[in-house]
Amino acid sequence: MEFLLNFVERTGAKAVGWWNATFAVLAFLTEVLSTLVRPATWNRATLDTIVKQIYFTAVQILHVYLVYVLAISWVIITITLSTARDVGLFDAATEMIIRVLLLELLPFLTALLIALRSGSAINTEVALMKVNNELDALSHCRVEPMQFEFLPRIAGGIASVIGLTVLGSVLTLFLAYFSIYGLSTSGFDAFSNTISTVFGIGVLMGLGVKCIFFGLAVTTLPMAAGLETPKKLFMVPVSVLRGMMRVFLALVLIEVLSLALEYI
Amino acid sequence: MASLPEDRAALVSPDLPLRANLSARENIALIPLYQKHFDAAEASHQAQTLLEQLGFASIGDKRDPDMNPSERFVAKLARALILKRPQLVIERPGAMLYDIPYPAFLRELASRFEGAPEKWEVFDFDWNRPLYDRE
Repeated sequence: MEFLLNFVERTGAKAVGWWNATFAVLAFLTEVLSTLVRPATWNRATLDTIVKQIYFTAVQILHVYLVYVLAISWVIITITLSTARDVGLFDAATEMIIRVLLLELLPFLTALLIALRSGSAINTEVALMKVNNELDALSHCRVEPMQFEFLPRIAGGIASVIGLTVLGSVLTLFLAYFSIYGLSTSGFDAFSNTISTVFGIGVLMGLGVKCIFFGLAVTTLPMAAGLETPKKLFMVPVSVLRGMMRVFLALVLIEVLSLALEYI
Repeated sequence: MASLPEDRAALVSPDLPLRANLSARENIALIPLYQKHFDAAEASHQAQTLLEQLGFASIGDKRDPDMNPSERFVAKLARALILKRPQLVIERPGAMLYDIPYPAFLRELASRFEGAPEKWEVFDFDWNRPLYDRE
């Protein structure tokens, strides 16, 4: 009987914990959106900070990212082409490459890279700011942390996911073309026809929305986890652990939902 | 922390640290930049001028962990002064200036600053009163 009571108690505590965490994330998102639409937010200082964040999040890792995209795209393209040739579906290879790499794998891996590099840093920084009272100090000086610290990171994260995905996709398209047709320009018409067939307006919009959600997930979830940190230094690693788990679950959820909406 | 109306009093307190990843000048410049909408160059100039007035021009580029207690205190003081609130409250100075005879240091800083707020107040523990009386 005692075991059952303990079980119910533990389950209830977990459910309440999840509810509180979800509510905190939703409340934070609401605050982000209300700050986003306030005209006073968009001053020169905010824009400068956003540009800095894009530099830290995307430009600093550009060379690493492009090498990583090149390697992964080359492997996937080679496997796809060789399999398509074996099963006699070589004509469909271009479309398969675009669908697998450009629509699904690259946005997901880009978001994962930014989550691991910047999301974890954001989570740690926000948690330390909370523990050290730096957020209270900013509020005392009437420098709103949402405008100065959080919003630029969110905007920078979204812009970085979109920007890096676009750059990676362009690189992959070049690589796919050279892998299929070599240096000849004879396949240009067929290749561009396939691209235009796959990238209809609906698909492009879906891809854009997915990248925005990825960008939101890799920035807002770590921030919300950082803000939940109790004012105890030893809780910072726990906060990062929780934040990064939530980011991973959110990325998988967004990817699964986008696949379901597109193909089911 | 003392409970004070935020629009009237600017606090210098051990509970209100500097932003750790910004230099002293950037910490101070945040206020003209975000509150008064000056451009970055002008805000930075105002911050540096204030540090010069306080006699600590050289700490502009230092971040919090690279500053000694006096430098950190001066950066916090400059951040409070640039808020231009009518009242300045220094809370528990002994907790921030633990390695120097701080009442004399505070008097020296106050004398260096020309555009002082109407009222400077120091909140300190009663048992530290003899430190102030000694001067």
